[in-house]
Amino acid sequence: MTGKILRYVFLILVMIVVVFPIIWLISTSIKNDVDIFAMPPILVPSHPTGKSYVGLVDNGLFAYLLNSSIVAVATCLVSIVIGTLAAYSLARFKLPGTWTSRISFWVLSTRMFPPIVTIIPLFQMLRVMGLVNTRLGLVITYTAFNLPFVVWMMRGFFAEIPRDIEEVAMVEGCTRMGAFLRTSLPLAVPGLAATAIFTLILSWNEFLFALIVTQTTQSATLPILVASRVGQYQILWGQMSAAGVIAMAPVLAFAFAVQRYLVRGMSFGAVKG
Amino acid sequence: MNIKRLATWGDRNLKYLLLAPTIVLLLVLTVYPLFFAIIASFETFNIRTATYSFGGVSNFVNMFTDPFFWNAMKNTGIYTGVAVVVEFGLGLALALVLNERFAGRDVFRSLMLAPMMLPPIVVAVIFKIVFMQNFGISNWLLGLIGIHGMLWESASRTALFSLIIVDIWEWTPFMFLILLAGLQALPSDPYEAAIVDGAGPFQVFRHITFPLLTPSILIALLLRLMDTLRIFDLIFVMTGGGPANATETMSLYVYQTAFRFSNVGSATAMSFVLLIITVAIGNFFVSRLRAEEVFTQ
Repeated sequence: MTGKILRYVFLILVMIVVVFPIIWLISTSIKNDVDIFAMPPILVPSHPTGKSYVGLVDNGLFAYLLNSSIVAVATCLVSIVIGTLAAYSLARFKLPGTWTSRISFWVLSTRMFPPIVTIIPLFQMLRVMGLVNTRLGLVITYTAFNLPFVVWMMRGFFAEIPRDIEEVAMVEGCTRMGAFLRTSLPLAVPGLAATAIFTLILSWNEFLFALIVTQTTQSATLPILVASRVGQYQILWGQMSAAGVIAMAPVLAFAFAVQRYLVRGMSFGAVKG
Repeated sequence: MNIKRLATWGDRNLKYLLLAPTIVLLLVLTVYPLFFAIIASFETFNIRTATYSFGGVSNFVNMFTDPFFWNAMKNTGIYTGVAVVVEFGLGLALALVLNERFAGRDVFRSLMLAPMMLPPIVVAVIFKIVFMQNFGISNWLLGLIGIHGMLWESASRTALFSLIIVDIWEWTPFMFLILLAGLQALPSDPYEAAIVDGAGPFQVFRHITFPLLTPSILIALLLRLMDTLRIFDLIFVMTGGGPANATETMSLYVYQTAFRFSNVGSATAMSFVLLIITVAIGNFFVSRLRAEEVFTQ
């Protein structure tokens, strides 16, 4: 009995540590300046206000939101289509010798490069192509780090679908590709949806490439707006919190939607969870 | 007739056709830049005048005599080492404690996934507020037990450890979830046998749980090490590498060198050191994982 109580006390403590900072952010975003600097700190604002959010709108919030959404969705579509095809090939066919495993690991290894290594040459490539400060430039760089993720996730999902169904479809007169499109692909839809949501989150959260590749309001994403509220000499506490809340909200919604696949997604499909 | 021929050719070579777009894209977007970077690291390039000149190994010589490079290496090492070890310890402890059915476990697991899914930039913002000097909640709490005036990320003595605390908050749930998934996939037979043989809880952990859990442990450690070695977002927003370079890690110093000081040659040379360390660690873990027969499917 005491063991049980102790466990719940421990659990509640851990939950407070995890959740409280997030609630504190939300609360700060609707505080007025007096409440932000109140001592002792207050959790529930005395005069809740939306002025930090209004301030963000005045600073082009919607442009950043639009950029983030377009970049995330476009990256997701491109990497899902291209990556799923490759994943299917690696899961179903045998390449000569050990090439199946070699290519799989090569694909994975590109994801392990620290981004700072490739960003300098990539930036110069984008500059030559005139893609600096464009959303297309970001989509291209984001596709590079989302592809390996999609390939490994989808490869795992396809491996779980029995081959027999495809063989039946081919006996019935489907081409090889037709058999894939009519049998395995529909069966992989739950995995595909989870993988797509992960790529949306990864692109939405990304900061380093966005910082280097995009500087204008026509191209910069939400994390850039968040970071710009933290100036060298002063911090706009209210706006910074409001921007944080806006950047966080869709991610949390998506994360709860895919929580069944979360462990799998976080480990590139290595831990089934 | 030709279309039919093309279709059969396509069907026969389908495995290569499906792979081709991914391989081409990755070659162009990761391998080509890498080769470009190798060349650039032997050149001195000025981003403003856009001129190259061959510099031999001068970038590497400069790097090894640059105290800021060693400072960044040291900070990256401390940050990675301390954060990953603490996150692993806490995550394992939590997973062991919570590896049983109890009311509210699913709610707890759902809440635990929040910190690591948040944009890192938002995590930085949250702890900017929590660590606020005169008005922050953390200093108020410390004040209750008689500690006053902690400067957290604004003082060079405490800055790196303040960032590590934030990293631990953000990523312990990751270790916890991976290790918990590993624990729940363990077979029950060895445990029954051990109990029949009269093994104590510590012996059971040491001789059964730990060896069986090794693949999950390796994956969790590998992914966290790769991520902390490249840490950028959190530090960029919270301290910008300061105060007095106390939190400048490799990624930050490379970024500053390339995009603030326009010294691409030096920056790529330094980024190679980071790459080599990452690849060495990655290879070590992947070979262990292959030996454990994970990643084979």
